[in-house]
Amino acid sequence: MEIAVGDPVTLAVLVPLCPLAAFALTWLLARKRPAAAAALSLAAVSVSLALSVILLAGQVQAPAEIRADLPWMPAGHLLIRMGILLNPLSALMIVIVSAVSLLVQVYSLGYMKGDPAFPRFFSYLSLFSFSMLTLVLADNFILLYMAWELVGLCSYLLIGFWYHKPEAARAAKKAFVVTRVGDLGFLVGILVLSLLAGTFDFQEVARFIGAGSVPQGQVTLVVLLLFCGAVGKSGQFPLHVWLPDAMEGPTPVSALIHSATMVAAGVFMVARLYTIFQASADALRVVASLGAFTAAFAALIALAQDDIKRVLAYSTISQLGYMMLALGAGGYGAGLFHLTTHAAFKTLLFLGAGSVIHVLGTNDLRRMGGLGRRMPVTAVAFGVAVLAIAGIFPLSGFWSKDAILEAVRSSGQTAAYAAALGTVFLTALYMSRLFFLAFTGAPRGEQAPHESPAVMTVPMIILAALAIGLGVIGSPLAVRGIEGFLDPASPRPALDIGMLLLSNGLAAAGIMVALAVFGPWRTPASLSRRPSGPFHAVLANKFYIDELYMLVIRGLYFTLTRVIAWFDRHVVDGMVNLVGGASTRGGTLLRRTVGGKVQGYALMVTGGTLAVLVLLLLAGLGVFGQGGGGR
Amino acid sequence: MQVTLTHYLVLAALLFCIGIYGAVSRKNAIGILMALELVFNAVNLTFVAAGRFRPAPDAVGQLFALFVIAAAAAESVLGLAIILAIYRRRVVVNADEMDLMKH
Amino acid sequence: MQAVLFYALAAALLVSAGLVVASRNIFHAALWLAVALFVVAALYVMLGAYFLAAIQVLIYIGAVVVLAIFVINLTRTVVGAPVTLTRRWVIPAALVSALTACLIAVALAKSGLPGGPAPDTAGVDWTAALGRHLLGDYVIPFELVSVLLLAALIAAIAIVGKDREDEK
Repeated sequence: MEIAVGDPVTLAVLVPLCPLAAFALTWLLARKRPAAAAALSLAAVSVSLALSVILLAGQVQAPAEIRADLPWMPAGHLLIRMGILLNPLSALMIVIVSAVSLLVQVYSLGYMKGDPAFPRFFSYLSLFSFSMLTLVLADNFILLYMAWELVGLCSYLLIGFWYHKPEAARAAKKAFVVTRVGDLGFLVGILVLSLLAGTFDFQEVARFIGAGSVPQGQVTLVVLLLFCGAVGKSGQFPLHVWLPDAMEGPTPVSALIHSATMVAAGVFMVARLYTIFQASADALRVVASLGAFTAAFAALIALAQDDIKRVLAYSTISQLGYMMLALGAGGYGAGLFHLTTHAAFKTLLFLGAGSVIHVLGTNDLRRMGGLGRRMPVTAVAFGVAVLAIAGIFPLSGFWSKDAILEAVRSSGQTAAYAAALGTVFLTALYMSRLFFLAFTGAPRGEQAPHESPAVMTVPMIILAALAIGLGVIGSPLAVRGIEGFLDPASPRPALDIGMLLLSNGLAAAGIMVALAVFGPWRTPASLSRRPSGPFHAVLANKFYIDELYMLVIRGLYFTLTRVIAWFDRHVVDGMVNLVGGASTRGGTLLRRTVGGKVQGYALMVTGGTLAVLVLLLLAGLGVFGQGGGGR
Repeated sequence: MQVTLTHYLVLAALLFCIGIYGAVSRKNAIGILMALELVFNAVNLTFVAAGRFRPAPDAVGQLFALFVIAAAAAESVLGLAIILAIYRRRVVVNADEMDLMKH
Repeated sequence: MQAVLFYALAAALLVSAGLVVASRNIFHAALWLAVALFVVAALYVMLGAYFLAAIQVLIYIGAVVVLAIFVINLTRTVVGAPVTLTRRWVIPAALVSALTACLIAVALAKSGLPGGPAPDTAGVDWTAALGRHLLGDYVIPFELVSVLLLAALIAAIAIVGKDREDEK
């Protein structure tokens, strides 16, 4: 079927502009009108979704790189151009972003109902949609970076949405500052790269790097700098610390930004610039190793968390690590496939958690239990998502995860492979634990649970369906498969029975262990008791990374500021005071010369004249240079 | 031994320095004035001696000395008049105590 | 012969000048001033400036010193008490004058003054020469000095004259 609806460039440009319009209009017209604000936002994002689907369909039919740009700013001998790059990757991303945005916005109608800042929330969601869509459509580093920063800003605004909550404000600040660290490296990388290549355009830079005129060491350095941005944005170790704290924001925010879209920006960026990354095998190895480590690391921490959203946050970090691992190991298609499936089931997990929180009023797992009976839809949807993330056949998660494992195994990095397999087990374990603690067994807290309204459950159902069926696009059932779509060079998707048995075996083991330790047969009392022991403490305290950072910051930074403050007080102010003091004291001193006594004056006159005469004499003698009498 | 110009100049110089010393250190205002007279005389001596010892001696040195005498006389008179006026008002004659103009 | 006379006069001058500045009794100081001025007049005679010597005696000693003595007497209440020279000013004064002496010494040493005796001026009529200058090339300064003296006169009267208030 031929789809030819309008010019792809126009459509592509409209995709981010609609939410931007919604944002502007909401602020101008609908600041105090919740209904209008929501309507604007939903309308805009629906339009974006429709257009995105059309564009994706077009790309599926005929994958092509479509470009359009405008001259934007002359800077020296450079002319910076702004434009869009529409190719399979960006087409896929805009669909993901707008679809998840739409579902979350619908969900928010229920979740944020009654909140006094309802319009502001929706305006921020629209702003975020605009920023994220621009980010994935950008064709040059400048636009990418601007959108990158904007996305960070939206994250800040949304995490700290309830700004009177001090924890929220602090979390928003932390997110911003930590990602800033990564962004700094990113910016330096961009600048160096553009300086070398003489341009900011992705394709031109890629061509330049491909030409091989830059020494390998420099390439690796630049790539690693660029990767810093991804480390920050996608919450890889060691810049992962902001993500769990970001859970202070409303749950729809966590669902949208901190599971499916913004944090995926880092992965996207690596994918977008993949040809540049491929120029440095060392850098790719770093990416893969870091991803593998992060995946295992975060999974361990998730095991010991008692806050439902924190578990999911660390899960996100872990899964992002998987994606990075895939990209680093050469599994370009696999990593992006997982990004897609993850968007579905992680969003679902967050929405489910939000449903529970909304009804119970608490995040604490120890106070939950037995919710499955009273919130069936939520429980079933959540359960589906758990199975998907654990990678159970034939859900979507299985296909994408196995693709990754396949890619890692064939890349020959055994340590990373082992870590990835271990994480499969851990993921199943902590997610099952979460499910059992929340939805099974006897109720532990004081609760009167009920199912959430339709406006919240319908998006969950839709996502559950996707979580089940999305795997098909990467399975042998697809003609070309998503991997082939994104990377024509990848092999046809095939079902590897060996891998299936391995991964599902590990996952099943994890679920079994969780069942044994946390299953419904455990008594409420034993489940609410806080486990002790050093091992648990380390995990529960997130390996004390935050504490370490604070120590370093306090040590270095505050010492530095103390030094500077001392300097300012004593040297800078000291100089000012010196000038003032000198004037005053000098004046007092000089005042004594006007004593009123004639002898003093006579003395001064005589002394002065004497001095002048001495000088004249010396000048005459040639002490101050020739020209004197020099007798 | 010949008496040369240098002799006179040295003498005048010494007289000059004595006069300055007195002008600065004397407490009595009249004393200060008298010391200044010594200074003037030293200057005059220099002028006259210089005029005398020129290769072509002329009266210009004496002429200057004459003018100096006249001016010095006028100045001394006025100085003494002022001292007298101050004395009338405040019954002091020590320069130390005449310090109304101090800041 | 000339040298001996010179040194004698020089000594006399320096001694009397020293006494002028050092005498505790102001009256004595005035008298010593008269002596010093007289010695200076003698030196003028040695240099051949007869007219000037006469003027020196007439005006300096005859008028200025006399006037000084008058004023000393008029301000007598404070005269009797033995007055000590202020310690405060002695040291700076001595310093300054010593430095001045050095300065002059250095200047003299470095200058190329004629070292010979006085040129022969046996037949020179200095007084006539003086008169010629005064009414010739230097007539304007001459007149100005007259004006100056007049101004001094008026000023002195104004300063010392009785105030109208005193008369009431």
